[in-house]
Amino acid sequence: MIVGIDLCDEYTRIDCVPEEKPRLYPTVICRRREEDAWFIGEDAYAHNLTEDCVLVDQLVSQMLKNGTATLGGTRYEGRELLKRFVREAVQQFLKENGETKTEGIVFSVRKSGPKLITVLGECAQELGVEKEHVRVISHSEGFVYYIMSQKKEIWCGTVGMFDLSEERLRYYEMKLQRGARESTVVCEYENLEEGSISLDILNTPAGAKLADKILCSCGERMMQKKLYSSVFLTGKGFENRDWAEGFMKMLCVKRRVYMETDVFAKGAAYLAQDLLRDKTAYPYTILCDGRLQSTVTMNVLRKGQETSVILAAAGDSWYGREAVLDVIPDHQDTVDFIVAADAKKKRTVSVSLDGFPKREDRTVKVRIRITFPDERTMRVNVKDQGFGELFPSTGVSVMQEVMI
Amino acid sequence: MSLLLCKQEHVTRPFYAEEMGIRIYSSQELSYVIVHYPLLVMDGFVSDALLNFLREELNHGFLALKIERWQKSGENPDETLVMILQECDYCTGAQISRFRQTVADIRKKHPAEYRKRKADEFFSIRQYRRALELYQELADWKADSVVDDHFRACVLNNMGSCYARMFRLEEAFDAYSRSYVAWNQQSVLERIYYLSKLDARLKPGERQKFRLTPELQEKWDADMEAARQRAAGSEAAGQLEVLFKRDLPRRQEGEAKRIAKWKQEYRSMM
Repeated sequence: MIVGIDLCDEYTRIDCVPEEKPRLYPTVICRRREEDAWFIGEDAYAHNLTEDCVLVDQLVSQMLKNGTATLGGTRYEGRELLKRFVREAVQQFLKENGETKTEGIVFSVRKSGPKLITVLGECAQELGVEKEHVRVISHSEGFVYYIMSQKKEIWCGTVGMFDLSEERLRYYEMKLQRGARESTVVCEYENLEEGSISLDILNTPAGAKLADKILCSCGERMMQKKLYSSVFLTGKGFENRDWAEGFMKMLCVKRRVYMETDVFAKGAAYLAQDLLRDKTAYPYTILCDGRLQSTVTMNVLRKGQETSVILAAAGDSWYGREAVLDVIPDHQDTVDFIVAADAKKKRTVSVSLDGFPKREDRTVKVRIRITFPDERTMRVNVKDQGFGELFPSTGVSVMQEVMI
Repeated sequence: MSLLLCKQEHVTRPFYAEEMGIRIYSSQELSYVIVHYPLLVMDGFVSDALLNFLREELNHGFLALKIERWQKSGENPDETLVMILQECDYCTGAQISRFRQTVADIRKKHPAEYRKRKADEFFSIRQYRRALELYQELADWKADSVVDDHFRACVLNNMGSCYARMFRLEEAFDAYSRSYVAWNQQSVLERIYYLSKLDARLKPGERQKFRLTPELQEKWDADMEAARQRAAGSEAAGQLEVLFKRDLPRRQEGEAKRIAKWKQEYRSMM
């Protein structure tokens, strides 16, 4: 069984391949005060009401803030609680489906970052999943994989999606750009009315009317007169659409509109399945949050010819991306990188080699290492490698961070 | 202006270039050594050990095979060096052509001239013992159109310099004296004078004393004093001063490191 998880502060959805009934857990965990017994999701709420338990919610935010919680006299770190929650949830899900182990696992989160990726990676390894079969992706990427797993006619043009969850309305848009060699899928999102729309207001007629109005105006602004292959609605807010009469009317004009609650978890599961394949079923460059937006290249001399070396390509996942290159400057005192967002938008970034040893030509070897602390920043480290025993390394190095 | 891309070579067992007393870790270093020290690589450098290094460490199996076949064919062995340069992608085409020409020119040299240039090359990389072996051989070379008094004087002077660098002052003095006898060069006399100043037991001969005018002595004394002051103010002396001001454990640690380094340097000369 291959598992995809949509992990948020409010809820956690688990889906799988082959398709089984998905599972939804509120992202909460509780522990009995006097006993080392743990409960998650709805169980946690139930035990918290009837027994002497301590409940912790907002587990993702707690972990990101390095928060702690004291349960039954013991202090737990946020990362530990999140890991325990995820482990319990996955194990329960597997058990319900008569499985004991998952081969691959992909997490889809609202905003990925090094900390979350590390914690979830550790968690997956504790569940016995091999490192190569684990990924943490953004919701945008989950959306992309979900859509790309549907019939082609659904995503041959622009695909839009509204996601209405507890306190957030987000609009996603995905486009397929066909290229001569490779096609690119671009996905962007915008947070709409953040904080001003809450699912609670849907419980009153006046609130529902207001929410419908807000959605209509957002829909008109985002969609204008664009042509769509399909439009999706997702999130708890759209499980019942009676309140959104105006919005649905506006939306369903000459458009295919689909309702799917598990877009992100399903997308994650499809990717997890793809990780196990020898050859990907998605031969596209995907540009979305969590992926690099620019290609970084360097011009070097190889076999007497000036040639371009790709250090990182647009669409690569920035986390863990590293490129290492040894070069020997010949009459050159800079290392130049070409950062290209597309064929037209190119700029050169130079890292000066001031302070590096001045020796005869072609006897200074430098090691260039590039990493990405986030999707918009490239960290360049250039270090003098020396030239064997002929010219030992001076240990000089230079570090520079560049916005890409 | 360019950046030369280096192939990733994970060398675990470097090649020891015995003639130079260094270990080679990459194809770039190998090319550098070949191009810069042709005299030291022209005889016996392309050995089985080097072919193994090319094959197993630098992943140049095809090149090693090509060289082996070339060697078996009995063709010009200098071409094997050119093959290495071409394959390692470090030198430009012009550099390789120049190298080929240099090697051809060296091969045409008189055997004594060839040996002297080789010995000079050893001297330039501080391989004094190896240089001395060749200079000794040349000092006893039968005179001919190339090996005349001037040639012999140069060889003896260089021998003196080797001995002096190895702190064997008596032998250095002797070699310089013989050089001066062969060819009355003032620069050699200057060295003899300096050595006699450094070691009181070394006395210039009558003929040398005759040429050591008070003006020359005064000038060379001044030069020696200036050199002493330059040495006292040098970076290396400054580092030693800093070291001696440190507390005892750190000073001892620094001293031990420094002495080990000097020993290593001295051993590599021998």
